[in-house]
Amino acid sequence: MTPVQQALLILLLPLASAAFIALFLRRAGGLASAISVAACAGLAALSLALVFGGERNFPASWEWLRLGGFSLSLGFKFDDLAALMLAIVAVVGLCVHVFSLGYMHDDGAKARYFGGLSVFMFSMLGIVFADNLFMMFIFWELVGFSSYLLINHYCEKQSAADAAKKAFIVNRVGDFGFLLGIVMCYWLNGTVNLTELAAHHVYTTWVPLLLFCGAVGKSAQLPLHVWLPDAMEGPTPVSALIHAATMVAAGIYMLCRIEPLMTPQALTVIMWTGTATALYAALCAITQRDIKKVLAYSTLSQLGYMVAAFGLGSLLSEQGEHRMLVAAGVGAAMFHLTTHAFFKALMFLGSGSVIYGCHHEQDIFKMGGLKSKMPLTFAAFTIGVLAIIGMPYIAAGFFSKDAILHLALEKNTAVFAILAFTAVLTSFYMVRLWILVFLGTPRSDEASHAHEGGLTMKLPLILLAVLSVLGGYTALYGHTFDGVWSLIPHAEGATILVISLGVMIAGGGTALMLYKPAGSDALEQKAPGLFGVLVALKESFDAVYNYYVAKIQQRFAILLNFLEQVALAGLIIRGFSGLVGLFGIGARALHVGSLHAYVYWFLIGVVVLWAYAAGVF
Amino acid sequence: MNALPLLSLIIFVPWAGAVLLACLPRLGAPASRALALGFSLSTLALTLAALGSFDPATTGYQFVERHDWIRALHVHYHLGLDGLSLLLVLLTGLLSPLCLLASWRTVAEARFFGLLFLLLQGAALGVFLALDFFHWFIFWELSLIPAYFLIRLWGGPGAARAGYQFVIYTIGGSAFLLLGFAAIFAATGSLDFVELSSLGATGALGGKLASLGGIWPQAVFLGVFLGFAVKVPLFPFHTWLPATYAEAPTGVSMFLTGVMSKMGVYGFIRVLWPLFPGPLHAAAGPLLWFALGGVVLGAFAAMRQTDLKRMIAYSSVNHLSYCLLALFAVSVATGSSRPASEAAAAALSGTLLQVFNHGISAAALFYCAGVLESRAGGRRGLNDFGGVRSAAPVFAGLCGIALFASLGLPGLNGFVGEFLIFRGVWGLAPWAAAVACLGLFATAWFLLTFWQRVFHGPRAGAAAGPFADLSGLDFAVLVPLVALMFLLGVLPHLLTGLFNPLITSWANHLVLP
Repeated sequence: MTPVQQALLILLLPLASAAFIALFLRRAGGLASAISVAACAGLAALSLALVFGGERNFPASWEWLRLGGFSLSLGFKFDDLAALMLAIVAVVGLCVHVFSLGYMHDDGAKARYFGGLSVFMFSMLGIVFADNLFMMFIFWELVGFSSYLLINHYCEKQSAADAAKKAFIVNRVGDFGFLLGIVMCYWLNGTVNLTELAAHHVYTTWVPLLLFCGAVGKSAQLPLHVWLPDAMEGPTPVSALIHAATMVAAGIYMLCRIEPLMTPQALTVIMWTGTATALYAALCAITQRDIKKVLAYSTLSQLGYMVAAFGLGSLLSEQGEHRMLVAAGVGAAMFHLTTHAFFKALMFLGSGSVIYGCHHEQDIFKMGGLKSKMPLTFAAFTIGVLAIIGMPYIAAGFFSKDAILHLALEKNTAVFAILAFTAVLTSFYMVRLWILVFLGTPRSDEASHAHEGGLTMKLPLILLAVLSVLGGYTALYGHTFDGVWSLIPHAEGATILVISLGVMIAGGGTALMLYKPAGSDALEQKAPGLFGVLVALKESFDAVYNYYVAKIQQRFAILLNFLEQVALAGLIIRGFSGLVGLFGIGARALHVGSLHAYVYWFLIGVVVLWAYAAGVF
Repeated sequence: MNALPLLSLIIFVPWAGAVLLACLPRLGAPASRALALGFSLSTLALTLAALGSFDPATTGYQFVERHDWIRALHVHYHLGLDGLSLLLVLLTGLLSPLCLLASWRTVAEARFFGLLFLLLQGAALGVFLALDFFHWFIFWELSLIPAYFLIRLWGGPGAARAGYQFVIYTIGGSAFLLLGFAAIFAATGSLDFVELSSLGATGALGGKLASLGGIWPQAVFLGVFLGFAVKVPLFPFHTWLPATYAEAPTGVSMFLTGVMSKMGVYGFIRVLWPLFPGPLHAAAGPLLWFALGGVVLGAFAAMRQTDLKRMIAYSSVNHLSYCLLALFAVSVATGSSRPASEAAAAALSGTLLQVFNHGISAAALFYCAGVLESRAGGRRGLNDFGGVRSAAPVFAGLCGIALFASLGLPGLNGFVGEFLIFRGVWGLAPWAAAVACLGLFATAWFLLTFWQRVFHGPRAGAAAGPFADLSGLDFAVLVPLVALMFLLGVLPHLLTGLFNPLITSWANHLVLP
């Protein structure tokens, strides 16, 4: 099998699985899940063979549509960056598929769920392989669609239906920027092929910024982050796969793909967007009571880290050094994306295990004491926590976070200070979560009857825990991803190590002192003012958007509708009698419609239009 | 020239069917339905036959039939087919039988319904194939009469007013069209579109019209423009549309939005643009705003609708305005120094794709609204339903596909056309593309609201009780449409291949006289 065929097979396996399930297996949940998992296992095996087989940059491009001198094509660009992303998507995807076998075992709409997962895998792999922005956009939209389907899984719940709609629409707002960026790129450069663009493109800040809008939507950066916390309405394995490890990371991946197009101005915007998101989300995470919401905000914050890392890459650089420094951002961002994919998927699946064990209780204040009830989940989750707070040398997050902090320290002190403070907050809310869920004694019936899931739920946890420990040692990957790993900036001396140990201990230590396994929030009791501010901060964005929808958009639509009904339809169709009718003569006006009044209005329209046209002559 | 008058057959076989139905007053309902469906299918069969010997590489007309008709007036019976007409004839051929199927059970007086429908179908086909204004206009006007009666006799409670409004409004537009062409005939002595186009391309038409008097060139342009603007409709001439589409019976709504609204777009491309390149270029700047008005305001107005059929009607205003947006943007850029042929090719291809794809997806959406209406005893409000998905999952799936096709999801048919329009318009008038994004946003909003309110959440309203999933007849209508959505979404070159050389030649000759 040639590498091209192999890549095609990887891409089409999940599509075939989804089509088969949709057409024939809608009522056969068991068979559907088996087929979906088998397809995913097959694609994972093929992917790893392709990734570690060492074939790179094989030519694969097909013209899809040709219109005169203008063509749209589909093709694969498979370099080390794509290989890394493919490996992540395949491994995490497989873990989630297997985990879902246990988690969704009793679900009535299992076929729909697994079909959705397959659609998602197809779309996500399309983004990974895409060799041009147009193809990326196609799969970008499809990923948004499959995310919509899966968030909507419990569609008889109003909140799930609302969350799915919100996710799709907010993503669409970002996608318009992406779309305009693509058409602008076409217009300026005549191509959207990534390789050709890297070789030659018109230098402008608009294209990268417009494309970045797409990443803001998909990677849930400020101000379009509002959909991600709500997206937790979906089943937990979906949150692990889509809303933590892969889809939301697609924004970062896309940025790394278009890195040659970047300009210092664009990177400054990107850096500050990421930094602000990292801090804002960490502040929000502190007050959350729902285990999945804590993890969602933590995902937002870590995505902000990655975006900031990417933006940090080339700041203050000389033109001569420009390329090298930009690439440092790519290295740091992709490294953190990798480790984060492992440990965040681990924590989400861990939380899935907890939720499953506690019979769908998600409030952390009603848990407690799960350490002894669910020892494996406890161990796995602890590894995840150690990874995200950056425990030196033990867990993967330490290495990637250090690379980012190091980059920030070199480039921009303000960003460094904010990111370091964010790291303090991260250890704070993660230790808080860990204490409340696992320590002490059970605080509800659900928690006291908690139990581990079956083997299908344990195996993925073990695999992801191993990866969360080892994933940070880049040497372990051999030379497979050297194209990316060689770009990672490395700290020299002990400064960064000391700083990260400091922030970890500061945050974690405060949480250990403050929180006891109890049924109420210690912060809320001891510092209600601060707590209130944080809650208000979290709700501010939703309040603004709700205000926009209710007060601006709806009123605009009402006004338009009114104009339609009265000014246009009323006056033009019914003429003056319609106007009279408006003033209350009422029913009589309804059946008066005279042709000459009608033609009269037409003539006025003609004159107005003609005046327009004549003015241009 | 083909031995068989294929194009005449395409037009007149449906009419022959209508005559046959008229001659058989005692024919029972099932037989009338079958007869009407058979004659309606003839269009598709004949078009496929034409497709077999159609050569896309030729940019001129094919299968031409030209005979002297009224010598004193230089009127010829002139039919011809190029990529543009073929696309629309194909669309008519595909949709018409489905529209009849959609009215299969629900319609009383099946014989009369079939008769009127076949008349309508033949007239629409005539509009797409005629190349001489004389009989083109006859077809154009004749299409109104059966449409009026179809709306009036089988429509909803407000059908009388809606039908009246529809006819008066469009006849009003046509009056200007007729006056315009009377002036053209007075100036040039010809009514042949091909001859007039070549006069238009050299600018001679404007000169001849100017010989009639100072304002005639502009006045004629405006008259012709108005005739088409009402038909499409272009904002703000669209106000007849929502009521008409909402009150018409489902099958007729499908035909109105799928085929008749395309007559206006066809007129713009076939008549107005080639005959008046100069005046259109001059007016296109302001006209872009009208098209944008349709794109943005149409979508925002749809957001406010609680009647599902009205919502889809407004979304039609929005979707068709994209076509005009692209055409006006091409016209704005015509003759400018910028090399715009690539962008123009994209914009025009996008327009034609959008014409076809909107026909498919809007027809499917109207049918879905009709299904909801028939299951709910005539109610079709946004808030009259809830949780239909759990009651009728297959229906929910197919309707969802139509909705996502309509909002432009890649992989389904709507996306390619819209992408090409954006690609083209950005190269010709970038600000217009940016503003049009608002329309995309609002479209996603109201279509998702539709899906969410009707299909999701707890079961409520008309779906609270028993709610049947799709019947075999429903499948017969929806499955071909949904299959086309996938097919054309994945393989758009099946369509673009038909008109690509034509578009390329247009795009390469964007010059002002």
